[in-house]
Amino acid sequence: METAASDNGVAREVRGVRIVDTFAEAFDMRASRVIVTAKTPGWARTAVQTMTGFATSVIGCKVEAALEAELTPDETPDGRPGASALLFGFDADGLSHRLLDRLGQTILTCPTTACFDGLPDAPERVIVGGHMRHFGDKYQSSKSLAGHRYWRIPVMEGEFLIEEKFGVQKGIGGGNFLILGKDADVTLEAAEAAVEAIRKLRGIILPFPGGMVRAGSKVGARNYKKLPASTNDAYCPTIRRRHGVKTELPPEVNSVMEIVIDGLDRTSMENAMRVGVDAACRPGIVEITAGNYGGKLGKHHFRLHDIMGTA
Amino acid sequence: MITLRLKEPIDLVPLEAEAICPDVMVKLKHAEIGALPVYLGKKHTRLDDYFTIEGEASDEIEVHGDGRKVRWMGRGMTRGRLSIVGNAGMHLGAYMKGGTIDVSGDASDWVGGEMSGGLIRIAGRAGGQAGAAYRGSRGGMTNGTIIIGGTGGLEIGMRMKRGTIVMGGMVRDFAGLEMKGGTIILQAGAELRTGAWMNRGTIISLKPLPMLPSFLYASTYNPSFMGLYAKHLKTLGITIPFDPAQGSYQRYTGDTSVIGRGEILVWTPRAS
Amino acid sequence: MTGAHLRESEYRMVRITGGKVYDPANGVEGVVKDICVDDNGRIVAEVNGSSKVIDATGMVIFPGGVDVHTHVAGGALNFARGLVPENQRIARKFMHTPKLRSGIGGMTPTTYATGYLYAGMGWTTVNEAAVPVLSAKHTHEEMHDIPIVDKSTLLLMANNELMMDLLEAGEFERAKHLVAWLIWSAKTYGIKAVNPGGVAAWKWGKNASQLHEPIEGYKSITAAQIIVQLAQIVEEIGLPHPMHLHQNNLGVPGNVTSTIETMKILEGHRTHLAHLQFHAYGGHDWGSMKSEAVAVAEEFNKHKNLTCDVGAVLFGDAVTITADGPWQHLLYELTGRKWANLDVENETGCGIVPYVYSDHHLVNAVQWAVGLELMLLITDPWRIYLTTDHPNGGGFWRYPEIVRLLMDAEFRKGEVRKLPVEAQKRIALADLDREYTFSDIAILTSAGPARALGLSNKGHLGIGADGDITIYPEKPDKNGVLFAYPRYVLKSGNVVVEEGQVREIFEGREFISRPQFDPHIEDYIRPVFQKVYTMSFENYPTDMERMHKHEVVECQPMPGTVRPLPPLPAPAPAPEHKK
Repeated sequence: METAASDNGVAREVRGVRIVDTFAEAFDMRASRVIVTAKTPGWARTAVQTMTGFATSVIGCKVEAALEAELTPDETPDGRPGASALLFGFDADGLSHRLLDRLGQTILTCPTTACFDGLPDAPERVIVGGHMRHFGDKYQSSKSLAGHRYWRIPVMEGEFLIEEKFGVQKGIGGGNFLILGKDADVTLEAAEAAVEAIRKLRGIILPFPGGMVRAGSKVGARNYKKLPASTNDAYCPTIRRRHGVKTELPPEVNSVMEIVIDGLDRTSMENAMRVGVDAACRPGIVEITAGNYGGKLGKHHFRLHDIMGTA
Repeated sequence: MITLRLKEPIDLVPLEAEAICPDVMVKLKHAEIGALPVYLGKKHTRLDDYFTIEGEASDEIEVHGDGRKVRWMGRGMTRGRLSIVGNAGMHLGAYMKGGTIDVSGDASDWVGGEMSGGLIRIAGRAGGQAGAAYRGSRGGMTNGTIIIGGTGGLEIGMRMKRGTIVMGGMVRDFAGLEMKGGTIILQAGAELRTGAWMNRGTIISLKPLPMLPSFLYASTYNPSFMGLYAKHLKTLGITIPFDPAQGSYQRYTGDTSVIGRGEILVWTPRAS
Repeated sequence: MTGAHLRESEYRMVRITGGKVYDPANGVEGVVKDICVDDNGRIVAEVNGSSKVIDATGMVIFPGGVDVHTHVAGGALNFARGLVPENQRIARKFMHTPKLRSGIGGMTPTTYATGYLYAGMGWTTVNEAAVPVLSAKHTHEEMHDIPIVDKSTLLLMANNELMMDLLEAGEFERAKHLVAWLIWSAKTYGIKAVNPGGVAAWKWGKNASQLHEPIEGYKSITAAQIIVQLAQIVEEIGLPHPMHLHQNNLGVPGNVTSTIETMKILEGHRTHLAHLQFHAYGGHDWGSMKSEAVAVAEEFNKHKNLTCDVGAVLFGDAVTITADGPWQHLLYELTGRKWANLDVENETGCGIVPYVYSDHHLVNAVQWAVGLELMLLITDPWRIYLTTDHPNGGGFWRYPEIVRLLMDAEFRKGEVRKLPVEAQKRIALADLDREYTFSDIAILTSAGPARALGLSNKGHLGIGADGDITIYPEKPDKNGVLFAYPRYVLKSGNVVVEEGQVREIFEGREFISRPQFDPHIEDYIRPVFQKVYTMSFENYPTDMERMHKHEVVECQPMPGTVRPLPPLPAPAPAPEHKK
């Protein structure tokens, strides 16, 4: 990684892109991992994409979810092609409801799929298949193997197999960095490069469309008192001179894109931010910064200089 | 490691030797192991009356000799390993909760009777009632795995509730009698009345079976749980087919003379 | 004798000193005095010469316990033993010793174990409450093998078709001679009526739930008529124990109605109501079932002619064994597990269902409370006796648990609070403050049942009584239980138990009643019998030579009721009631 050292030895430029000395502020969440297998990789992907649709922000969607990885037959419990998804929610109880809703509507209904817990070692377990079994109207049956119980629900196609309980562990939500570029095209390309690099990793997801969000928000609103969140005016280039806006943008910046990351643990998050920031440091990008709330709301702080300095 | 060698064959009156168990020997000194009580019929005797003993204080036991009349070995064990180089008598691993038992030869009736965990592997043949409920009990094995390489006797898995039994050879009548759950895999098929009075559970046969009239054919398919079992059993050296390209399973529901929520799945290779 | 371990008792003189004596039959309550037993095994005022001396300082002395209603021998119990091998595998083992024979405990103990367990608890007399004539020989052989305790048996009668045919035909007098003949033929002590008419109806797949409707298979006779006439027969032939009645509708929610009606129709007849707990339920189904102990006790208190035993249930394993076949079928349908149904030719039936009383279960929690409520609400301690209807409500060896619940209101209320909240709303137990005294317990467990059984030498410590004596520590054990283990138990003056361990074994007596009857009754029985029974008439009675150590009680008929046997009508009445 090409970096320019500052006076005190901390990285602050990568290939000419300034890394602001700030931190991303992230939150404790509860996470679960769902493994879906199917006859083909395509059906597994279709199932997971449908299951993780409309799951960008826990504020608006009650859960943040996305495809984590595509899995080879060697990696799945039943030896078929598969895909895994991570889901992040506020708490285990809420997460169990989201799992039941989403798996019931999208995996149960999707041809050839079977559905397994991807966090078998997690201490906390929520009942999912154990509730969904009722769809079988007492014609369902169960199998127990190696300490896990699975429900077999008869469906028109044949039989749907789903694990009774899913593990829930602590996760970190809202890791982020902002890409500040000279124009909209170059900023989007840099963000795409960051997403491509991050998506190779496991243990993290990028819940927003295409892995990025153009409409970053601040807490509350200045003019509509009831809104929980509103546009992040400090980073909106078109209003930088309006009354009341305290812009954070350097003069040459004309577009900003945010990458939001949820991860199972701190290390995964740091790795994701590192490869993402590094990939985003391309010509035309002015600065990489991160979103925070002054450090008072989120327990987890990811300081950009620390992350880039430990490469 | 503790090594026991049978001094001379026991051929008439059986030796009741539940002392041959890792949990019993794990903390005992050599002399204490020799003094462990065993019963020849009603006669109170010592373990070293019948076995030479090497080693002490271990949860790994190796037994050498033809122990076909040595009963109750590994009874209720929770840990460690019991390897029998030779044959084992009745009730091997009965009430077992954990650990591993390996037998290089044959075993007798009631292997793993009412066991609740652990792994029993018999290279040779077994008698009847493997994993079964003792007379009068409502449930047989509740967890764990029994793998028998050779043939088996009557009432294999009778009233079992959970767990897995794999039979490499042909088994006799009434496999899965009054079964309440769990899985029996018959790699070489069975004689008559398989699954009689079965309430719940799964019997998988890789060979055609004579089917009771109270089992009703339902469909032909490839259950997704079969892949799960195939992958798990592969780690124990057992292969079961699950790939639709190779064939599929005929599902029979039964036993309809009772509540009939069980199933017999019979493998049918794809006609080439 | 069946072996070296059962021998005639070796009576020797004993003097017990320093203990507090509880002998309510003789008005003795907690007085420190000596009790002496002579070399005939009887209590005497004084013994001279060399006597064994037991220092009972700090202990309490009770007459040996008497179980008025238990099931410890016979065909049904033996069938139950075979039905629950899984229970025996986990049961207490009695190892063979130079003095004791081996056996197993559990819900259906073997014969020897039964004797050891009863004696070990301080009970010295037991009454086996259900014997069909056809199983009498087997039962007596088993009774012979129950060591230490004295024994008696009750003959199952209220569904005997020979008797029912006579009652149907209005031939009360002939029925009376038949019953007396049957009692003596079976060498039993008294009469047990189980679900009158209901077991006979069960052979048609029906029950007798209405007291005043004709029994299935008969034109006119009703359960109420059987109950009243059988009670009359028992009184007229002068049996020492009144009719022992297991009422209709046992265990059924709402059976309080027929229980109270039964008490009313029995007005004027001495009767013992068995396991009253099972007959004191309100509600109309299992979901609405509740305690009606208050109503049942109130009615019972009015009828001085009645006695009862409680038939308490305790949470845990049980095996239900009863001649009440239709009830057992219902119970089997509730449990869905094991069920045995036996037919005993023309006499009775039997059902066996292993059962677990659960403290989480609404119905079981109510049943548990009802038994205790009855013992606390029935005011006369002389008319209610401690039983669990062993093994129906729990093993008899758990009696000390019930005693503790009776003597300690605070402990009892704590136990009530552990019940499901819904169950607590359906019982009155939490409001009852009564605590049994030592004297009350002596009546409940010994003096009362001995009096009800008509055993004048049992249940008290007066001069001439049998030397059956139980000596307990005065203070509870470390678990708070009084009477869990007696320090000493004497049977006929022999110290059979010391420090809770059985020390001495010998055979107790069996009591048999001999009522008077005209031997010509056989002229009536023989042709009917040979028509409807599978065995020959000559093999039916139990001969005296087959009886082991026994004592015959000669019955005195009620004055003014001795009437000649009516001549046989010609032709002999054929049972024409069969559909």
